[in-house]
Amino acid sequence: MSSPKCESDAKGWRILIAGTGGQGALTAARVLCGVFVRRGHDVVSGQLHGMAQRGGSVQSSVLIDTGISPVIGAGQADCVLGFEPVETARALSLMSKNTTVYMNTCAVVPFVVGQQLALTRAGAGYPAVKDLIDCLKKVAQRVFSFDAMQRAFDAGSPKALNMVMLGCLLGSEALPCTADEFWTTTLKTMPSKLKQINTAAFFAGVEWAREVGNAAVEASGS
Amino acid sequence: MREEATFVSAAPTHEILQDSPGTRLCLLGNVAIARGALEAGVQFFSCYPGTPSSEVGDTFARIAEEAGVKFEYSVNEKIAVEVAFAACLTGARSMCSMKHLGLNYANDPISTMPYVGVEGGMVIVSAGDPSAITSPNEQDQRHFCKFLYYPVFDPGTPDDALRTTRYAFAFSEQTRLPVIIRPTTRVCHSSGMVTLGKLPGGRNEIHFDKDPSRYVPIPINARRMRKELTERFELASTLLRESDFYPRRGEGRHGIMASGVSYAYASQILDDLGLWDQVTLQQIGAYPIPESILRDFLGAVDSVLLVEELTPYMEDWVAEAASRAAQQVPLFGKRTGHFPMEFEYSPDLVEDAVRQYLGMTSRSSLSVDVPELPELPPRPPVLCPGCPHRAAYYLVRKVFGKNTTYCNDIGCYTLGYGEPLNVCDVLLCMGASITQASGIARMTGKRTVACLGDSTFFHSGLPALANALQARDDVTVIILDNFITAMTGFQPSLTSNRGDRGSAGRHGPSVSGISKMRFSIEGVVRGLGVQDIYSVDPYDEAAMTEALKQAKSAEGVNVLVCHSPCMVNERRLGHHQERVPLRINVDKCNGCSLCVRLLGCPGILVSGGHYMIDDELCVGCGLCANVCKHDAVEPIAVEKI
Repeated sequence: MSSPKCESDAKGWRILIAGTGGQGALTAARVLCGVFVRRGHDVVSGQLHGMAQRGGSVQSSVLIDTGISPVIGAGQADCVLGFEPVETARALSLMSKNTTVYMNTCAVVPFVVGQQLALTRAGAGYPAVKDLIDCLKKVAQRVFSFDAMQRAFDAGSPKALNMVMLGCLLGSEALPCTADEFWTTTLKTMPSKLKQINTAAFFAGVEWAREVGNAAVEASGS
Repeated sequence: MREEATFVSAAPTHEILQDSPGTRLCLLGNVAIARGALEAGVQFFSCYPGTPSSEVGDTFARIAEEAGVKFEYSVNEKIAVEVAFAACLTGARSMCSMKHLGLNYANDPISTMPYVGVEGGMVIVSAGDPSAITSPNEQDQRHFCKFLYYPVFDPGTPDDALRTTRYAFAFSEQTRLPVIIRPTTRVCHSSGMVTLGKLPGGRNEIHFDKDPSRYVPIPINARRMRKELTERFELASTLLRESDFYPRRGEGRHGIMASGVSYAYASQILDDLGLWDQVTLQQIGAYPIPESILRDFLGAVDSVLLVEELTPYMEDWVAEAASRAAQQVPLFGKRTGHFPMEFEYSPDLVEDAVRQYLGMTSRSSLSVDVPELPELPPRPPVLCPGCPHRAAYYLVRKVFGKNTTYCNDIGCYTLGYGEPLNVCDVLLCMGASITQASGIARMTGKRTVACLGDSTFFHSGLPALANALQARDDVTVIILDNFITAMTGFQPSLTSNRGDRGSAGRHGPSVSGISKMRFSIEGVVRGLGVQDIYSVDPYDEAAMTEALKQAKSAEGVNVLVCHSPCMVNERRLGHHQERVPLRINVDKCNGCSLCVRLLGCPGILVSGGHYMIDDELCVGCGLCANVCKHDAVEPIAVEKI
């Protein structure tokens, strides 16, 4: 038997958005799909939302110019947008050393954690966010974490968290679309108040991603 | 050549109504099915919602009026199928959708429909749920193909789903067979690129021509129909041979045959690993598989890896055909341990099998060591904050106690399972709460409790209640009426408010074909002959407790109807009630944990021994204030939200 190629030459961009129900992760995925379809790309997107509800785990994939499979395989994510620390960690198997991770450090503690501890004095509780980041860094070389929720508050609404996270993605400059082009396509035509908050949130994410990106380049260069 | 893609976001409810052939859109699989039906000139649509099929019906609810399609959310799947079948007998192209379990419920009419045959094309969408993500079982509907003479289509992508549906109506008319489309969760709930076809200029003419020998399958006619059925099923195979649903790609001697979303995974893996020179991939997009297609493929390869979820249906089909044709080709699949018998496949699982099949290095030896994560806390599904079912369950349990057997049903209220509410001791299928309560009460001689929602009550609870009545079983039936079919995405139920039924926000400006009538559960139950009927608000603790006590001590069947709206739906519809924000007074709370032990409401947070109310989640239902023995839950003074 001839020896087949073992190294994957997968093309395109595979983005995973992980969060909890109510954080706007599904909306972020939909916005992303819309922009890239409009720009002439082939987009496939999948999500698991069977029993999902407010406070449940949400994982949504957006695959741009990759082919027809709607599911990201192990180690195949190019970028993970983690809206919540534990949910980011749940996506660990999809990461590889080439994955860029942007993670919001503001936790949404499942209510069962506190209630279980109160009743049974058992259960692991919510893990230390630092421990989660350390694990992620053992797999992915570029793990950037920050309090994105604070940026959303600063921009005017916690609901703008998804725009901060999308800002990170576009600020990473890894996609075939600039942050300004993205803004023109999505936010420019919004009603003014929403536009103001979302624009501020989006560019807060963009700026932050550029800063940490540059710092990482410098660090690796030195 | 590729046409310019169109942005789909500004008016997402109507994008599939555009008549712009060649336009490329990114559509949800279920929405692509609706578009395919429009391109075929569908005239009638009925459904009963069920994950993962619901968006097909919800899409029609939005567009039916504008598209000139008669639409209904049916009372159950059997009814949806029967009404749609009758519609097709008038010449209309008709369609109905449901989840896999709905097909079982509708199996009685479904089993005879191929005998009678269709006039206008008829397509049944029955969405499968491998891994039972939102169902009590997983099931392979492809078996209906051999079992009941149905052509079954198995799309792998949203584009497949659109093309399949568009094709299926004319195909149904040519063979006079109703057909089934079986997409699974990953096709229904994934979005992918589709290319729009033309919308039709005309529609089938509507007329019903009396011909009892044609439409009445009494034995003398049924036996004639049976012979015709064999011929029509053979015709189906002949027509499918010329269809587009068996594409083949690659030139290798290693055959791979795939069906459903597994085809998308296999094709992607062969792309990503660059294996097309070694492998020939054959998609099976419809059953019955035409013999000639199988023969050609088996003749072109040295062996075959069969990739399909659920049962080894395609695998056994191929084995049987190969044996008949004396083609000795090694087959690898579920029967040889290359794939598991159970559950959904993942791209990783398919890649592992492909690597094993081709003698490649295994993926696990290539991947890096994954560090051990701290234990991640789960986020299990729970009743929402302010859910009226929690209020009802708390009191039901309080009055009936831990020794009563609680028979539950299919809906949000199944979440009464386990701690802390513990009102789900048995569960089976739609409507079985009442029948199981009957069977257990009759044999144990102890009163049992059945809990079910408004939509499920009308779906199949009604005959169960009549049966309990005629047997005079000691059963207390709790009907949790929240005015909506909440779990599947807020489809209207028979008790929905008139205004809501006409203006469900997510379903567009109007839900066409829905009557403005609002049913009275009490009236229906009284009509059946139930004497003891209690109409209660589950948040009225005194009245609810009194009713439960009476029901507990009475004889025979009694019914409690708990009316209180789904809070999530109220918010969704913008019915903002004046919310009274609550807080826990730390001076009064002694951390007794009673609220958590009895209610398990996600709106109550506990941290470092302190109990707090999550102001974002709390809807101010006040149930925890009722439970608290220390009056620690109190309204936050003078604050308007």
